[in-house]
Amino acid sequence: MSSLNEVGKPRKLRAKPFRTADKLFFGVSTAAAYSAIVIIILILIFLMQRAFPAFQEQGILEFVFGTGWEVGQNSAGDIIMRIGPQLYGTLLIAALGTLFAVPMAISIAYFIVFLAPRWLASATTILIDLLAAIPSVVIGLWGLVVFGPVAIEWATILHENLGWIPIFAHDSGTFTNSPFIAALIVSIMIVPIIASVTREIFSQMDREVINAAMALGANRESAFRRVILPTSAGGITGGVLLALGRAMGETVAIFFVLNLVYDRFNWYKILEPEGGNVASLILAKFGEATEREVAGLMAAGVVLFVVTLIVNAIASYIVAKSQPWRKL
Amino acid sequence: MSLTRTEPVERPKSAAPWSKTPPRIRTAIAIASIVPASISLAYLFVTGTPFIVALFTVFLPLQIIGGAYAGYVAHGARGILDGLLVVMTYFLGGFVLVMLSSVLISVVVTGSEAMSPHFFLQNGKYVGPTTDLSYGGLGHSIVGTLMIVALTSVITVPLGIATAVYITETQGKSRGLVQTLLQAMAGLPSVVAGLFIFSMLIISGVTSYAGFAGSLALVPLMLPTVARVAEESLRLVPRDLRNGALALGAPSWRAFFMVTLPAAKSGMVTAVLLGVARIVGETAPLLLTIFTNNGTNLNMFEGGMSALPSYLFLNLNEGTSGSTARAWGAALAIMIVVLILFASARYASRPASLSKKKRKKK
Repeated sequence: MSSLNEVGKPRKLRAKPFRTADKLFFGVSTAAAYSAIVIIILILIFLMQRAFPAFQEQGILEFVFGTGWEVGQNSAGDIIMRIGPQLYGTLLIAALGTLFAVPMAISIAYFIVFLAPRWLASATTILIDLLAAIPSVVIGLWGLVVFGPVAIEWATILHENLGWIPIFAHDSGTFTNSPFIAALIVSIMIVPIIASVTREIFSQMDREVINAAMALGANRESAFRRVILPTSAGGITGGVLLALGRAMGETVAIFFVLNLVYDRFNWYKILEPEGGNVASLILAKFGEATEREVAGLMAAGVVLFVVTLIVNAIASYIVAKSQPWRKL
Repeated sequence: MSLTRTEPVERPKSAAPWSKTPPRIRTAIAIASIVPASISLAYLFVTGTPFIVALFTVFLPLQIIGGAYAGYVAHGARGILDGLLVVMTYFLGGFVLVMLSSVLISVVVTGSEAMSPHFFLQNGKYVGPTTDLSYGGLGHSIVGTLMIVALTSVITVPLGIATAVYITETQGKSRGLVQTLLQAMAGLPSVVAGLFIFSMLIISGVTSYAGFAGSLALVPLMLPTVARVAEESLRLVPRDLRNGALALGAPSWRAFFMVTLPAAKSGMVTAVLLGVARIVGETAPLLLTIFTNNGTNLNMFEGGMSALPSYLFLNLNEGTSGSTARAWGAALAIMIVVLILFASARYASRPASLSKKKRKKK
C-alpha cells in the first residue's frame, strides 16, 4: 500500500509565452525595464569619462577633501580644484534642514492621522502635496526676495541673544546668504517628503495596538511616545534619509540664498555668510568654465551623485524593511 | 468572605468617551486657546518686541501652560502631557502652513503685477535688463516649455509604463534590481542629469545647445515618477480579473490591454500628470542643456531655447527691478501650470465610488 503515500513532486508551473504577440509584449516591457539600468550606467560612464582628467590631475582624495578652487590664469598656469568645503557645506545644510524639518513633518503627520476630523485631514493632505509640487526655482525666488529679510532678522536676534553659543557666533557683520537661511529654505522643501512617508506609516499602523494601549491606561502622549513612535521609527528614519538625499541634490533654491566660499571650511558658524554646496558650485561655475574646469565640475557631479546614491540606497533599504506591506 | 463591595467605586473621569465634552472642559479649552494668544498680542503691541521673539518667548510658554491646564482639567494629572503634545503639534503644523501660504500669496500677489496679455503673447526679443513691464513677455518660454515637456513625455511615458508592466505583470528575474535602480534614479540630483546630457551630447560635439538635449536631460528625472505611480496603480488591479481573462483563453497581451489597463486607466493618467508636474519646474538641467534665447525658437534641434524655469532663473539672476518683476510673473505662470496638473491628477485619481455616483445621477 506504499504507493498511496507516494506523492509526486509538484510540477513546476512555468508558463512561457509561446505566442508571437505575447513574446513581443513581454519583450518590449523587459526592454523598457532594462532601459533604467542602461540610463544609470550611461550616466556613470559619461560623467566618469569626463571627470577622469580632473581626478587624475588633482588626485581623488585631494579633490574630495582639499580646499580651494582657483582656475584663473596665474603665472604657473596651475589649476586648483578641490571641493572639500562644498561637500562639507552640502552635508551641513542638508543635516540642518532635516533637523528643522523632522519635528514639523511628524507633527503634521500626527495631526492628519490622529487629531484632525476627516475633512480637515484631507484638506491638510492636499496642502502638503501641493507644497511638494512647488518647483524649487519658485521656492528660491521666494527665499531670496520674501523670506530672506525675515530670516536675516531671525538670525540677528539669535546672534544677539544666544551669541555665546559657538554655532551662533558671528563677526562678519552681515547675516545674508548664510547656511542657516539655506537650511531653513531646504527644510520647507523637504517637509512634505518626510510628512507623506510618516503619514503613510502612521495610517497603516494597527489601530488595535493603540486602542489596547489606551485600554491599559495610556493617554495620548504616552501612546504616541511609547507605542506609535517606536513602531514607526524605522519607516520615519527611511523617509528622513530620503529627504536628506533630496536636500543634498537641491540646486537652484540654494544657489540664490547661499554665498559660496572655496578656500576654507566653515565648520560650524551657521550664521556667517560662508557656506558650500556642490550643486550650487556646478551651477555657479558652469557659465564661463574652461575645458579643464568643466572636467572639475563633472568630477564634482560624480562625487555628489555617489554620495546621494549611498544615502538613497540606505534610505530605500530602511523604508522597504519597515513597510513589509509594500512587498512585490 | 463576601465578594460584594460595600462602598461604591468612583467612576474614572475618562470612563465615557462617547459622551459630549462637558462644559467645564470646554471652558478650559477655550481659555487655553484664547488667553495666551491675547496676552502675547497685548505684549507685542505694548513693548514692540520683534514678532518672532514674542512668538517664542511669550506665546509658546504661555500656550504650553494653557495646554497643560486644559489637559489637567480634562484628564487630571495624566492629561498635562497630552495638552503639551497637542499644543506642539498645532504649533509646528501651523508654522509649515504659514510658510506655505506665504509662498503662495507672495507668488500670486507679486506675480499678478506682471500679468497682462502681452506678457503671455510677446517674447523677450527687445527686452533689456532695464526694460520695465510695458512690453515683452514670456511667450517664447511658454512655447519652449511646452515643446520640451512634450518631447520628454513622448519618450518617458511609454518607457515608464512598460517598466511598470515589467515589474507587475511579468515574472522577470530582475524586478528587484529594476526597482532599486528606479529608486536610485529618483534621488538623482537634477544638476547631475543636466551634466550627463551636457557631457554626452554637447561636449562630444554631437549637437550644440538645443531643445531636444533639454528634453533628454529631463528623462531620468521623470521616469521614476511615472514608473512608480503606474506600478502602484497596476498593483491595485485585483489578480482575479487578470486570471479570469487568462482562464478565458486570452493571451497575456490581450488580457493586459483589454482588462488590466482599462481597470488602471485613471492611475496611468495620474502617473503621466505627476511626472509632468515633477519636471515642469526643473531648472538646473535646462540651464546646462538648452542655453537660452530671447526670441521664439520652434526648432528643437538647433539653437538655444527658453523655458519657463530658466526664464525665471536668468531674470532673477539679472537682479534689476524690471527683471525681478518678470521673474515673479514667470513664477506665477509656472505655479498656474503646476496647479492645473496637480488638480487634474487629483481629479483623475479620485475614489471610484465618487465617479460612479456622478454617473448614476446622469
